[in-house]
Order: sequence, then C-alpha cells, then structure tokens
Amino acid sequence: MAESCRISTTFVEYKDSGKRPLNYGPKGGIHMNQITLTSGGIVIVRPAGELDHHTADSIKREVSRLIFGGKAAAVIWDLGSLQFMDSAGIGLILGRMRDLGAVEGGTVILNPSPTMKKMFELSGLGSHLLEGTVEDAIKRLGGILHGK
Amino acid sequence: MENEMTLSFAAISENEALARMTLTFFVAALDPTLEEISEYKTVISEAVTNAIIHGYDEDRSGIVRVHAALDGREVTVTISDEGGGIENVEEAMQPMYTSKPERERSGMGFTIMESFTDSLSVDSSNGGGTIVTFKKKFSPVQETCSSVG
Repeated sequence: MAESCRISTTFVEYKDSGKRPLNYGPKGGIHMNQITLTSGGIVIVRPAGELDHHTADSIKREVSRLIFGGKAAAVIWDLGSLQFMDSAGIGLILGRMRDLGAVEGGTVILNPSPTMKKMFELSGLGSHLLEGTVEDAIKRLGGILHGK
Repeated sequence: MENEMTLSFAAISENEALARMTLTFFVAALDPTLEEISEYKTVISEAVTNAIIHGYDEDRSGIVRVHAALDGREVTVTISDEGGGIENVEEAMQPMYTSKPERERSGMGFTIMESFTDSLSVDSSNGGGTIVTFKKKFSPVQETCSSVG
C-alpha cells in the first residue's frame, strides 16, 4: 500500500538527517508547512503531513497576520502534498476567506485529494477548486483581483 | 465478529492523530482503497475532535474511548466521551451549525461524517456524554495484477 511506502521513506530520510522519525509537529521534520508571499500580494500556503484541529492553528496565525498586515490580498491553498485533512481545514480556509473579505481578496484551492474535494464541495467551496499549477492559480486570481 | 479493539486516551488534541493511526492499522488487512481509508480517517478525526472540543471543552482530564469491531469487510466504530453532551442532536447535525463559531469550527463535521459512512448514529444528552457509532463497508479487493506469461 502507498501509505506504508511513505512511512518507510520517512525513516530513510531521518536516518541520514539524524532527526527523530515521528515528528509530527507543524513546524519541524519533513511535515513542514510552507507559507510564502509573492510580490503581487498573494499568500501561497503549502500544508504538509496531516491538517487537523491540532495543526491548523499555526497556519491560521501566520496567514491572518499577512492579511491583516495589509501584505496579502489573496490566498492559494496548494494541497498537493497534504496527506490528510479533516473539517479543521475547511474551518481554516473559510476563516481566512472571512479575513480576506475585508480586502475583497480571492481564494484558490489547488489540487485537493478526491476525499478533500468531496468535503469542499459539501461545504459550498466547489467554485474555488482548481487542478493545475500555482501559475494557473495566480492567473485565475489575476482575473478575480483585477475584475473587482 | 472477527476482530475487535478498544483504545482510550486523554482528551488532548495531539491524540487525534493517535486515534486515526491506530484505527487505520486495525483495518489495514482489508486492503482498503486510498480513498476509502482517507474517508474513514476523516470520520474518526471528526468524532474524536468533537469529543475533545465539545464533549470535554479541552479539559485534559477527560477520557475518550474508541471501540472498533470487524465483521467481514464492515467495520463498526464507537467513539464515546463522558463530557458535556449535546443538548439538541438534530440541530448539531445541521450543515454549518457550530456551537463554537469563535473557535473556527466549520460546522461541517456531522455532514462529512454522514457522507463518508454507511450509517451514523449519535446518542447524546445534556451533561450525559456522547456516543457516536458508525459503520463503513470496504469494497472487495479487485484483482489488478494478473499473472504474466
């Protein structure tokens, strides 16, 4: 099964790095969440590992800080390397959409797994989904941001 | 019943991953598809998070209990707590309903659980704890690797 393949990869990577193999912390190990800000004011969030109620908080704080600091007007949620997400992920994205409401910004949810896709559709976020590259997402946001 | 397990743990959010992982290993021999296992993990995560956040209000002295039983390709999972309970189960199960909007809960937990299971029941009373039971049937294993030669 692919799941067990991933676990063995983890151990191999850790053997070389000397770090502990079961570090699920949101700020360490191989499950590093990446948050980057483009010069065009778009936050690109790449959560990794498992996104649940326990791990959502640190992402929330950082993305909200960028939006309310006036640095960001749109968020791309690149979920391609996320292994698991429950409704905490929905709450996280809906919450940031509320933050963006103040600046009339846009949201794109990129490459969710089939299970995540079902959850987003159930939550009324289907129109924000996109399969493609970050460039495709930026292109879509360009339309949203300029069309407002 | 072919196999069963019980797990109990303190009501702290780190243990959400513990519950998902343990219950995933419990059904691993059935060789579920990635999508089935991902849906199953999501349901467990929703129920355990509800017990920790809503049942015990993140009081770490609370205990969450999980029981799972396998019968053929069907698993029955019961997740229970002895916390505050749900005053109005019908209202709590409405899409987008949350009793804790300030905590950034989406209110989609029960809707997602219903969508990803074959049956779901919620037994709760105010102050009397909550018992969530769900059943999920895994599809038969498809023969994908035919012998060569």
